[in-house]
Amino acid sequence: MNRLTLSCALLACFAAGPAFAGASTAGSSAGAATSGAGSSASSKTTSPDDEKVVRQARDDAASFVATDGRIRGAQLEAALRHLREKYSTAQRASDMQLAQAILAL
Amino acid sequence: MTPGRRPRTARLWPALCLFACTGSAQALQLESIDSSLTPAQAAATRQLLAEVIRRLPATWTEALDRRIDVEWRDDLPAEVHGRAKARQLLLKRALLDDWMARSPGVGVEDPDTRAVLAAVIHELAHFYDRSPQGRLSVDPRLLDLAGWQVSPMRFGLRLHDNAFRDRSPDDYELESPTEFVAVNLEWFLLDPAYACRRPALYDYFTAEFGSRPPRADCAPDLVYVQVGSDASLPPVLQLDPGRVYSVDYLFAEGNDRPMSRWGHSMLRLVICAPGRERGPGCRLDLQYHQVLSFRAFIDDVQISSWRGLTGSYPSRLYVLPLAQVIEEYTKVELRGLQSIPLRLDPSEIAGLLDRTATLHWSYDGDYYFINNNCAVETFKLLHDGVPRLAGADLSSITPTGLLRRLRDAGIADVTVIDDREAALRDGYYFEALSERYQAMFDVARESLGLPQKRVQDWMDLDPKQRAPWLERADLRASAALLLLEQAALRRQQALSRAEIKRRFFGHDRESNTEWADARGGLRNVLELEGLFSRPAALLPDRSYGQPQAEEREALTREGNRLAAHWREQSGWLRAEARRWLSEDRRTALDATEANVEALGERLRRLHREQGGLDLQGIS
Repeated sequence: MNRLTLSCALLACFAAGPAFAGASTAGSSAGAATSGAGSSASSKTTSPDDEKVVRQARDDAASFVATDGRIRGAQLEAALRHLREKYSTAQRASDMQLAQAILAL
Repeated sequence: MTPGRRPRTARLWPALCLFACTGSAQALQLESIDSSLTPAQAAATRQLLAEVIRRLPATWTEALDRRIDVEWRDDLPAEVHGRAKARQLLLKRALLDDWMARSPGVGVEDPDTRAVLAAVIHELAHFYDRSPQGRLSVDPRLLDLAGWQVSPMRFGLRLHDNAFRDRSPDDYELESPTEFVAVNLEWFLLDPAYACRRPALYDYFTAEFGSRPPRADCAPDLVYVQVGSDASLPPVLQLDPGRVYSVDYLFAEGNDRPMSRWGHSMLRLVICAPGRERGPGCRLDLQYHQVLSFRAFIDDVQISSWRGLTGSYPSRLYVLPLAQVIEEYTKVELRGLQSIPLRLDPSEIAGLLDRTATLHWSYDGDYYFINNNCAVETFKLLHDGVPRLAGADLSSITPTGLLRRLRDAGIADVTVIDDREAALRDGYYFEALSERYQAMFDVARESLGLPQKRVQDWMDLDPKQRAPWLERADLRASAALLLLEQAALRRQQALSRAEIKRRFFGHDRESNTEWADARGGLRNVLELEGLFSRPAALLPDRSYGQPQAEEREALTREGNRLAAHWREQSGWLRAEARRWLSEDRRTALDATEANVEALGERLRRLHREQGGLDLQGIS
């Protein structure tokens, strides 16, 4: 292996997401950076913080909460719909209440 | 004609005449004209030819409305089983011996029997292809399916090489379009699994001949190898084309870096959640959506323009979860993503997806930045996967050019991003996170009275200088600051990568055993990534085309094993890499991580104190 080859994988090292995808032109992924804000693994198997659609909405939820609902991204929309389809409590909650709850996971 | 052959006239004993279609005066006649055959050999020849003709579609035999003389020969080159001359079919004599030596009752599952039948079918396929009714090897649709692709750089002329090399039933098919047709017609007629392994070609041939050879029960759905950091996901992604509501052209906007200036073109599959009816509602089932992305498999530190221009990077079709693509582009690279629906009907979507599976399993092209880049590959995928689009003038070598042509041809509906707010909400546009930084900073600044005016000045502070402010933020300001701290963390990660690169490969690079371990680990990771990017490498050579039930099981086993190994190795490297950083860099990285952690903690506490909804206990 030449040294160029070597360093590519190194580039991927800091990507907490798939280094696999990192070894491509699109650059590296940084999956852990977003989950680093402390979503703890739950012992329950189906609670919302285990659900990808909810975890993936955290950045959109943060933008929504910070701007008082002005920025609404699709990942938040997807999570809101998912929660309301699955949990009756969520049907009674407002968008803001749910966004804050997602952010607090 | 081979030199030295004796003239054949007056040697017609016994003339074995076979009429493929009794009652038709114009029917194909295969006649063995070899006088040296024993009666048993002559009978076996007759039986063999009848067996072949029985399998041929009627339209095929009708197209060969003449006599073809069949000769058993000893003088064909070792690798050659047969030759189709103008009016003669030459066959290797050893095949006749094999045919006669076969156990009674064996069928095509016996390799020798199959070889004899295949040899005769192969040569008759050449005769058919040459007939006016045939001409398959010059049919543009056949060439699309076979892999002699059109090239936008050559004014629509086709590439000379066929790069669909992996999982071929017989490498000889890549020799030329005529051999491709002959080899594939062997498999079409003799292998019931051909319909499952090469469904598009099976459909093409059945449409051509108007008849269907026996077909096996196919394993359901399409399969793709997809290995990521999430260990809970299986290494084989199974996709039911019936669940795909839409295919979008996914365009990553360009930035200032040389290799990203023109943007990147991909396709997004809008896949419906299980249980949801196919319809617009599927657009928000984001966690099920997948992205098809052609990328160079880069195995060096910086993209080398020279290697890119000369095509020494393999071009591979990756299937990636949409969330990962959103992360990479909008959060890491800070580029916007436009998701533009293509007007395709369900059968066109199915055809396109089948083509993607063929590419995934068989394609091993070379990536050229100019003439075989992502836009060209995406164009070729649309061109070959959807026959209607082959007629549209889409050829382009840039992602923006392709989008423009798709729009002009009425295929792409670009109006979906006219209303930016609606586009963000509905997932037609994913904005670069950097577009939100200033707004986030303004929220925090107003709430906390931060002294900086520009977000850039705030981000340039030492993370430890920012930390005290974070402890005083309310819920809104904490949310805003969280996005900014995460951005700061990504920046620290990028700087760390750059530093490691310098220390590893710069003038001051160190050489001790520790680094040797690291090199070994890196080599492992890279080799595994190479394997995942060329899925055919995970399966034994014995099979071809799209993997069926048994291969899928093997693939899952092997994929799980390799993925576990890869996760372990790359995890070790990540942990090790931190040790190689300079103290300053490590301190900054640690401090930024601590800030992100503290904000997460603070958000949870504030939420609790305000009596917010607890999703952990939700019902």
